[in-house]
Order: sequence, then structure tokens, then C-alpha cells
Amino acid sequence: MSRTRPSEYKATAEGILRDHPEMRTAVTAATRTFNSHRVHGFGEVDAERWRDWMHQVKNHLLTHLDTYLEQAESNLVTHGARVHWAESAEDARTILADITKSHEVRRIVKGKSMLSEELELNTFLGEHGVQVRETDLGEYIIQLLDEPPSHIVGPAIHRSLEDCRELFGRELGTPPDASPEELAAAARRALREDFLKADLGISGGNFLAADTGTLALIENEGNIRLSTSVPRIHVAFVGIEKLLPRLEDLSAFLQLTTRAATGAPIGNYVSLLQGPRRNDEPHGPDELHVVLVDNGRTRLLADERAWEALRCVRCGACLNICPVYRQTGGHAYGWAYSGPIGAILAPAYLGLEEAMPLPFASSLCGACADVCPVRIPIPDLLVYWRERAVEAGLTGRTEAAGMRAYAAAAERPALFGAAKHLLRHLPWEMGGRALPVLGHWTDERTAPPPSRRSFSSLWKEGID
Amino acid sequence: MRVALFATCLGDRFFAEACADSVRLLRHLGVEPVVPETQTCCGQPAYNAGYATEARRMARHTLDVFEEAEHVVLPSGSCAGMLRTIYPKLLVGVDSDRARVLASRTWELSQFIVRVLGVESLGEGLFGRHVAYHHGCHALRELGVRDEPVKLLQGSGAEVVAWETDQECCGFGGLFSVKLPAVSAGMADRKLDTLPLVDWVTSADGGCLLQLAGRAERRGSSPRFRHLASVLWEATHPAPLEVP
Amino acid sequence: MGDARERILGRVRQALEHRDSVEHPGDFGAWRPDGALPADPVEAFTKLFTAAGGEVRHFDSEVAARTWLDGFASAFETVSLGVTVEGALRPERPEASPVSASLGISMARCAVAETGSLVLDARDGRRTQLLPPTHLVWVRAADVHATLTGALSAMKEDLPSGLGLHSGPSKSADIGQITVKGVHGPGRVIAAILS
Repeated sequence: MSRTRPSEYKATAEGILRDHPEMRTAVTAATRTFNSHRVHGFGEVDAERWRDWMHQVKNHLLTHLDTYLEQAESNLVTHGARVHWAESAEDARTILADITKSHEVRRIVKGKSMLSEELELNTFLGEHGVQVRETDLGEYIIQLLDEPPSHIVGPAIHRSLEDCRELFGRELGTPPDASPEELAAAARRALREDFLKADLGISGGNFLAADTGTLALIENEGNIRLSTSVPRIHVAFVGIEKLLPRLEDLSAFLQLTTRAATGAPIGNYVSLLQGPRRNDEPHGPDELHVVLVDNGRTRLLADERAWEALRCVRCGACLNICPVYRQTGGHAYGWAYSGPIGAILAPAYLGLEEAMPLPFASSLCGACADVCPVRIPIPDLLVYWRERAVEAGLTGRTEAAGMRAYAAAAERPALFGAAKHLLRHLPWEMGGRALPVLGHWTDERTAPPPSRRSFSSLWKEGID
Repeated sequence: MRVALFATCLGDRFFAEACADSVRLLRHLGVEPVVPETQTCCGQPAYNAGYATEARRMARHTLDVFEEAEHVVLPSGSCAGMLRTIYPKLLVGVDSDRARVLASRTWELSQFIVRVLGVESLGEGLFGRHVAYHHGCHALRELGVRDEPVKLLQGSGAEVVAWETDQECCGFGGLFSVKLPAVSAGMADRKLDTLPLVDWVTSADGGCLLQLAGRAERRGSSPRFRHLASVLWEATHPAPLEVP
Repeated sequence: MGDARERILGRVRQALEHRDSVEHPGDFGAWRPDGALPADPVEAFTKLFTAAGGEVRHFDSEVAARTWLDGFASAFETVSLGVTVEGALRPERPEASPVSASLGISMARCAVAETGSLVLDARDGRRTQLLPPTHLVWVRAADVHATLTGALSAMKEDLPSGLGLHSGPSKSADIGQITVKGVHGPGRVIAAILS
């Protein structure tokens, strides 16, 4: 499947709905399940208080980000890690290329990381003759299918058991009626070889505690623990917004991020890494490289309103509750981050024009703001980006002119009344389709029958 | 009590009878509403679409029209939400202060009946009726109106049937419905696919009703969609009306 | 590389120039409804760990632990032992590397009650904690912290290169949304608590 761009959202979404109705079914079922787990997970704690606390910690972190970045770097270096700074995706890839070249790396194992998607590491490495194996089972599945992930936490939720049976039968020789356990066992055997033979392991970074230089990685399968423990080199890509002030602060974030994502009290495996293997340790990487990545984050930080989006902990809760997301899954959004969070990050990371129409791919229902563990005001930020799009002239002259005319009429009650009269008598089914913008109502619905008399007429005549 | 009714642009055009029923209902409850003739549009379609300037113009006009009222009542959760939660931050300076005052006096119809008038039962007019209640997003999340409509329906003898997706967005979202019609229809389909067998589907939001009814009719099935104001007016009858 | 660092930090400072500073809210209270978790940390840990699919055994003496261990380990062909596992807790079974052993035995640094987690230390040996399909972890009852904050505070001054919080067997639901165990890490994990 080719990767699309945000600008193709409408066509891609329509294509998925029309040609792949099973996608909508699979995504709806998966996100409903995730969301019901989150409800249970939040219900076991005083979630509102946890959210308030985490909201404030992240805002404290972000408003002192330079200090904490320097502190994190200093502590990582003290523990023997190498720290790199990447301004752009290209820089990040160059840093990785330098490491692989200088260390004669030929095989890499990778844990799931949204940032690595954002930086497009896999394609780049492939072009440089380095074999990269995705080890998260869901990522492994879509790597074999050559598809992008469709969800932050469950990259393969758009693929059924049948799809997996077919795929594993082809690639790993499993029988056509293999049980999920047999399929997983086959993947385990295949990937075990990859772990043991790999020269280098790549991870992202869920959090980075500044006061101890601790990198925290959350997972359920154990592939991240293996990717960061077995190969001789570990390279971690960490967005600069992922820091936390103190080691102890990790407690809330590890717990509520997991509760928001899957409902569990904590991720099945959490790695807390401070540096490469020490002399008194039998196993572990000889080198740990931490690449601190900007790639648009400082631009977002500078935005007076949208900077709040940087609190995101990548739990996926907003995707799981979004009624728009579940119609298509993540592929329609055309870049690494989909759903509500994707729509408010895109204008800063990709540029407003490149991000269109994602801020408009929402009915503003507000469900996402109800569930975000760090209280990002997503609907407010969607409206904010829409305002910026209007200011930049990106919404089209017809719509803008129509809106101005509407506002002008709304300030003049007599004019508004006359216009209403006209619109009520427009033959909607026929002429309605010709009406710019509004005509699309009848693409999918019957036209609404206007009332025989307007309410203002009824009122004037007297209501009994 | 000086109560002004804001019929809203959708209400005036497509739900005139429901607005008339709102008047009848309020009178029945001892409130004589006025309907300022200069009312037009609250500005929500413009605001949601990113046209803050145009929205501000409409907001200022609406502020002028309604700020004398002791209470402003709307048969629309989303428009009430616009006045209550958006106006104070959309407008600036002294207009923002005026907006805050107006916001504190603004109510969606069922919210007004339950919270201001203190009424939870309207009569026996809905006895035996099975209704599904659709919670419009703005009423639910901006206004916090969730229990009021259900209380009034149940208090008047109706059974509000469990509906798995009752709090999920119907896909209207103003211009969203026409800018992304296929996705919008998909969202309506999810609601309709999970709809239980009922006499009526009702909601406090006209836009939601147009979306769901329009989509249901296109699909060939059509349960009866009725505005909450009309259903609540019918509730005041001493006994259920004959099914027409 | 120094240039990129300076430019990034410079942009951060510039971005924050007119931003109101927000204070750190202080310690996290892990607020829960009353009775959400058993008050006794060992009991709470046991409840969560077993709910996640792990097994828990309690021993009130090293003799009892040793007796059980001999029976338990006899079912495994080979065993891989963590470096810090004490003599009495090491079974008399042929040893093998973590890659080929069928049973891995580790000594936990500590445990966390509120998350149902065993905390494993790199000094004990990471491969033993991850590669064998069955994992037995010894932990002292006195080392079971009530909260994750408490555990992190206690370990803060003595951090190895890596700590692993293991809260049950390895799991995935990526195959058609059906949960399977033992995908990469051990499919069976036993926490053996010594009082």
C-alpha cells in the first residue's frame, strides 16, 4: 500500500469507505475495545486528579525545557551515553547513518516508535543496505505487508486473524488453520534469530527523566527490552518534548499512559535505561546513543496556543474515542500521526498548507478532550488551526465569500429574513446539488424538508 | 420572569413547529416568552469553520438582541453552548464581559425546565412511548446537559430505550457534514446501525436530527425523528395522543 | 554537533521568552478511591500480578523455598541463573546460556505493589530475564514497595544501566485482537516472595 499525504485525506477516506468497508469494521471493533479498557483503567484511580497533576508537570517541563534538556544530557553523558542533537528528520537519519557506518552495522532490530515513523528511518536504512527488522508483532506484520501503521498503539488493527494466517503461511510456512498462539510462536522463533544476530537496536523514547538521565520505554511483548539489551549498540530517538523533570515523576506517567492506552495498571515491560552496560553487568549494549530530536517541535513550542499539544504522551486514547478516526483508521491521514492528535500536530510539524485538510477532519464533538490524560484542549486547537487556515486563505474563496455574506446578512435582520425565505424555497433536491459547498448534503442524505411556515411567521401570526 | 426565546436559524427554517411547541410548553409552565424579531444566527457555523471574524460579528449582534432578557432559552444544545461557552472567549474587552453575563443567563430548553423551573415531570402524555434519545455533542460536553432531557422524558411516562451509541457524534458538525460527506455519513450509519426499535428518536439539536433523518431516509429505513421540544410539549397532555 | 545543540536550545529559549512559567505541582499522590487496593503491599502485588497472568508463590522460610525449588526446577532440562541469585536459591540443575536454557532464574531488586511489577536489575543479568520461556523471580517481601514513586525514590541513588519492570508474562493482541502470551519475553513468569 502506498503512503498518502494529508492533502489526500478526503479522497483516501472516501476510497477506504467505498472499497474497504472491512477496515471500518475492524477499526471500530478494536478502538471500542481499547476505549472500554481505558474506561476501566481510569475508573480504578482518581483519574481527574492524576490528569490535573500530569497536565501541570508537563507544562512545567515545557516552560523550562532548555534547562531540563541540558540536565538530561549532562546526566546521560555521566552514565556513559552519547547524546546527539537532530534539528530535522534528515539530520536524525544522517546521525543514524554515521553510527551504522562507523560501527559496520548490517542488521538492525527495532521496537515500535512513532518518532521513527515520523523520521522515516526504515526507508532510509533500506536505501543504505542495512536490514531493519520490526520486532513488535503488529509492526512486524505490517512490515511484511509493506504498509504503514494505522494506529499508535495497535499498528495492525486493520488486519484480521485471517489476514495474519495468510501472511504467516506465506512468509513463515505456518499451516492455514494456525491458531493465534501458533502464529505468535512462529513469529517468536523467527524474530529470536534477528535479536541475536543484530548489531544494533533502535528504540524511541516514551519519557526521559532529566535529573537522572533515565530513558523510559513502555511495551507489552518484551521486544523492546530485547532490542535494547542484546545487540551491542542501542540508539534511542527521543523527541525533545518527551522529557520529565524527575525520576519519580515517571510513576504517574508510566501508569496513566498505560491505563489510557490499554487499561492495564502499567505496561507489561518497562525499561528504565541510564547508559550502556557497566563493568559489573553481564549483559547489555556496549554503547547507548540518545538522539534528541527537534523536527518542528521548537516551532510548535513557539506557538502561543498550539504548544499545549506538546504534552502528548502518545497513548492513543484520542484515536480510540474519535468517531471520525474509526470510520477509516489511520491510513487516511497520510502521515505518522493520525486522529485528533495528528490533526493538531500536523500544521506545526508539516506546515499549515501541507497539513490541510486535517484540522477540518473533525466534527468537533469533543470526545477526545474528555479522555486525554494530559488534558490537551484538542477541539480548541482544531478551531485555532482552522482560523489560521482561513487567515492564510486556504479554505477557498467561495466558502470565504459565502461566510462573509452570511455574516453580513446576520447583522441585518430584514436582509436575513429575505435570504431565509429564498433558501427555504430553493428546490433542494434539484438545485440544491448545484449549490456550492452546501450542495454536498445530498451526496449521502435526503434534503431536509423546510417547515411550511417559518417560525418567525408563526410567531407574528400568534401561537396558541 | 423575562424569558427570551432564541429560535436559531435552523429552528426558524426547519423546526418552526418545534419552536412553536417550545412557546406552548413554556406558557404551560407559567412563562411567557418574548421572541425578539431581530434575532438571526448565533455564529456557530462560522466559528467552527475557522471564521472567527464573521463569528464575532454575529456574536455581537446576538449580544445586542438578547442581553436585556433575564433568561435566554434555546431549543438547541449547540447554539446554547455557543452562547454559554464560546461567546465569552470569542469576544474581547467589554464585549467579553457582556458575553459572560449573557452566558450565565443562557439555557437549552430542557436544561431551563429542569434547572431553573425545577420541573422534572410534565404530564402523562408520553406514557407507553419508547424513545431513543440522541445526546448532541455540544449539549453533552459544552453544556453538561445529559440527565435533564432523559429525566423529563422518563418523568412523563416515556421509556428511554438503551442505545449503545447514544452519546457518540452523529456526524453533523456543521459544515463538516458537507465538506466530508462520506465520513459524516459513516458516522450517522454507526448510530443508525445500533438504533433499537423505538417509536421516536429525539434530540435537543436540530442539526443532529436533520443529519440522522436525512441519512436514514436515504438508506430506506426511517424511524420517526422528532425534536425534543415537540416531544416535551406532547408530554404535557393528560394522556398519550392517538398514534397518527 | 555542537551547532545543532546550540540552535535547538536557542530556539527553545526564544519560544519560551514570553511564555508564563508553570510551577511543578510537587509530589504525586497516586490518588485512588478507598479500598481500591489491599493495604498490605504483598497482597496488592499478588492480586495484580496474578490478574495479569503471572504466578505468585509465598515462602516464609528459605528452607520452604528451597524444597519447592528442587521440585519445580526438576521439570526443566537446563537453567540460566542471574548473577545475584544467592546460593540457597540456585537449584541443582545443569546450567546453560540464557539463549538455550528453558528456565531463567533471577533475583529481583524490588517489587511494586500498586502496579504489580517485579523490578529487575541489569547487574543480575538482562538476558536471563528475557530469553528463557519460563522465568522464576525471587523477591524479598520487605522489598515490595507500596507505590512506584516509593520504589523509584528508593533506587534513585543506585541506578544500574538498566532496570526492567516486569508485570506479567509477555503479551500481545496484535493478531486479530486476540491476546497471546510469550511472544518475545517469557510466556510464564513466577514471582516467588520470601518473607
